[in-house]
Amino acid sequence: MSNKLKLNLGPQHPSTHGVLRLILEVEGEKITSCEPDVGYLHRGMEKMAEKLSYIQYLPLVDRIDYLGAFSYSELLCRNIEKALNTELFPRVKAIRVLMLELNRIASHLLWIGSFLMDLGAVSPFFYAFREREIILEYFEKVTGQRMMNNYFIFGGVRRDIFALADVERFLKILPDKLNDYENIITQNPIFLQRTKGKGILDKETALNGSITGVNLRACGVKYDLRTSDYLYKDYEFTPVVLDGKDAWTRYKARILEIKESAKLIAQAIEKINQNPKFEQDLINPINLILPEGEYYSEIEAPRGLASCYIKSEGGKNPYRLKWRTGSYYSVNLLRRLLVGEYLNDAIAIAGSLDIVLPEVDK
Amino acid sequence: MNHLYFLYIEFLAKHNIPQLFGDITFYIIPAGVIFIALLLIILALVLFERKLLGWFTQRKGPNRVGLWGVLQTLADALKLLCKENITPKNADRFLFNLAPILMFVPTLILLGIIPYSSEFTFMNFQTNLLIYIVLATLPILSILLAGWASNNKYSLFGAMRNVAQVLAYELPIVFTVLSIIVLASSMNLTQITLAQSNQYGFLGWFIIPCFIGFGIMFICTLAELNRCPFDLPEAESELICGYNTEYSGMRFALFYLGEYAMLFSNSLLLSVLFLGGYLSPFGKYLSPMFFNQNISSFLIYFEQAFWLLLKSFLIIFVMIWIRATLPRMASFDLLKLSWTKLLPLSIINFLLMVVLKYIWGGLYV
Amino acid sequence: MNITELKKVFDNCDITEDKIIIKDKLTETLKFIKENYEFNILKEIVAIDNKDKGIELIYRLYSVENEEEALISISVKNEAESVSKIFDSAYADEKEIYDLFGVQFIGNDELKRLYMPEAWEGHPLKKDYNEQDERLKWNE
Repeated sequence: MSNKLKLNLGPQHPSTHGVLRLILEVEGEKITSCEPDVGYLHRGMEKMAEKLSYIQYLPLVDRIDYLGAFSYSELLCRNIEKALNTELFPRVKAIRVLMLELNRIASHLLWIGSFLMDLGAVSPFFYAFREREIILEYFEKVTGQRMMNNYFIFGGVRRDIFALADVERFLKILPDKLNDYENIITQNPIFLQRTKGKGILDKETALNGSITGVNLRACGVKYDLRTSDYLYKDYEFTPVVLDGKDAWTRYKARILEIKESAKLIAQAIEKINQNPKFEQDLINPINLILPEGEYYSEIEAPRGLASCYIKSEGGKNPYRLKWRTGSYYSVNLLRRLLVGEYLNDAIAIAGSLDIVLPEVDK
Repeated sequence: MNHLYFLYIEFLAKHNIPQLFGDITFYIIPAGVIFIALLLIILALVLFERKLLGWFTQRKGPNRVGLWGVLQTLADALKLLCKENITPKNADRFLFNLAPILMFVPTLILLGIIPYSSEFTFMNFQTNLLIYIVLATLPILSILLAGWASNNKYSLFGAMRNVAQVLAYELPIVFTVLSIIVLASSMNLTQITLAQSNQYGFLGWFIIPCFIGFGIMFICTLAELNRCPFDLPEAESELICGYNTEYSGMRFALFYLGEYAMLFSNSLLLSVLFLGGYLSPFGKYLSPMFFNQNISSFLIYFEQAFWLLLKSFLIIFVMIWIRATLPRMASFDLLKLSWTKLLPLSIINFLLMVVLKYIWGGLYV
Repeated sequence: MNITELKKVFDNCDITEDKIIIKDKLTETLKFIKENYEFNILKEIVAIDNKDKGIELIYRLYSVENEEEALISISVKNEAESVSKIFDSAYADEKEIYDLFGVQFIGNDELKRLYMPEAWEGHPLKKDYNEQDERLKWNE
């Protein structure tokens, strides 16, 4: 007789951050096999692209990842700018960097909160949300929306940026607040027990599983797309590379990444101030037709490498549009990572990979 | 209790009510008093916890129902009462219904054992500490039953974890309690309280010689109550709600009430064992007697009860504070902590207390 | 990466400016490229339904050490070799492509519906997908 028990974790489970379903086989509390089942939030993003014109599709793109919306609209815009050889003006570029990095901070802050919530600590969730709120309020001020901003358009941004003092104020308080988190979390013995040495993800497994972003950099691989990204060309920044491989390192890497992003924002503000004139060369979205060909662009989204592939046959809508999202591969990595772990560690490990379900299901 | 009994009979005699009536009702009153007081205190406790958690996490906490949200828990309780009682199809009906009762009823007895003031103990046996320790394990049976009977894997996991946890914390508790028994030379809670009386107030409390024991007992109480950081049986992010996942309506409310009643009674026990129970921290100073010799003895009882409640609420406050701060421990870490650190420490503490008692036997009665 | 070397081994390939188009021996090619040129990440597999020309699969390989990218393209009918033994991440991509394009990957034994319901007929991203399906009109 086998002592194995089939456990259905999700899709309605408090710690799956949405609608992830993990079919686990457990022996006692030890997991012997894990099978992720996704698709509860599938909206047919790629199919919709084939039916809609580019400008109709643009607002939907933000919904791929509601926590990193800017990255995805940047991808689509970049692809179209690439196809039509449109150059962005320096101010617009700086605005985009500013928004992308603010978005990254907001996303990482939310992750810190929800990760600690998974581990059973209540307070950091609210503390992280308090800071995230400042960013979201700024987004609301500038773009009119808190999460699905729809701010970037082909060839530029919808409107000029303002109220930069808000961002500067945020940057001023951020180090203090991060210190607060580190005081309450980083050296907490229970937190260390739960995360140190848990969920070891070595370099080979990570590369093999196509893991990118912070999760990859936390196992010692220096691969940050921002170093080669054209938007970030004149920016000084060092990718956060830590060689710890465990959940704690992934946490630490995200904290450091927030600091790194803050530096980028400061530089972006400087660049915006250097180019006070707001000018842009917008692409007329009406009857926008992409020349025949294949277009590909990629970006460092908060949850790893995100890319957009467009094949156009010269029509009003793409022949094929494919998104690559970081979380999808993280979810599939769970098959490897959770086997042999205990149930309470499993939650910590799955949480440490920063999975956002709409990104998985597209 | 005798004193109160005579007061009661005297009061009845004044109104020409036969003594027989008094004899019968006198033993019913405590049950009613406990029940009503308990419900009120639980309602207050829930509100206390929610308000504090709110403040700890930069929120306001409940603030809509009644003044400052004081009626919020009452509204919640009413809502729970009105809800449908759902029994899962494949659940073991009898055990499923029995479990919440088993959770709630023992706590009522536990609260009857605690000496609230020098005359106000409903069940004053020679060995009521022992009875307390034994009865306090009954809710674990209830949790096991609930987990088993609801035929849900998450509930079962919660129950399993809880049973594993019992082994971890019961032994250190027993050893710590033994050291208190040695110090006080008694197993009666009233006498343990009296053994801590000292003219300088808090200097006589057992927390001073037995601070290691207090720490151990505090940690184990957290584990016994399934409170953070040891809330493994109901770990929300792992087991949804643990053993009471399938419960709803009144049965869920009973679990909830039982949990808070246990929280309350265990913090009372902690303050009786270590913090001098109903004794004032200032000894004979600052008590109403100190200012006015002719004050009614009845008021003294209230003062004593006030100190006890204050101490236990202080302990509960610390527990809530911990809940707001710490993440949850992994179940294996709890077992490790208990077997490798708490148990040896509690044995050392016990031996220390025996030596202490032997050397300064006269210090404590 | 040295393309002529690749041509020597796989005489059956066709190299355009950004893609290596092969006709068969998919697993061998990927294995060869992975082992000899340190292409250690399979970023994604893009599937495109080219109607009569079959389904084109583009494997986007990346080398973290050398910071270069290679695209391997293959056109298949309804069957392809699975590369999940070489790149673990291909497992995920192949599942998705099976669901949306109906390509059977030989060697990937856990192919099943991912996004669509278990009993769904047809593969939505194929160009001949029947969009007049009754079930798609649920809200009209």
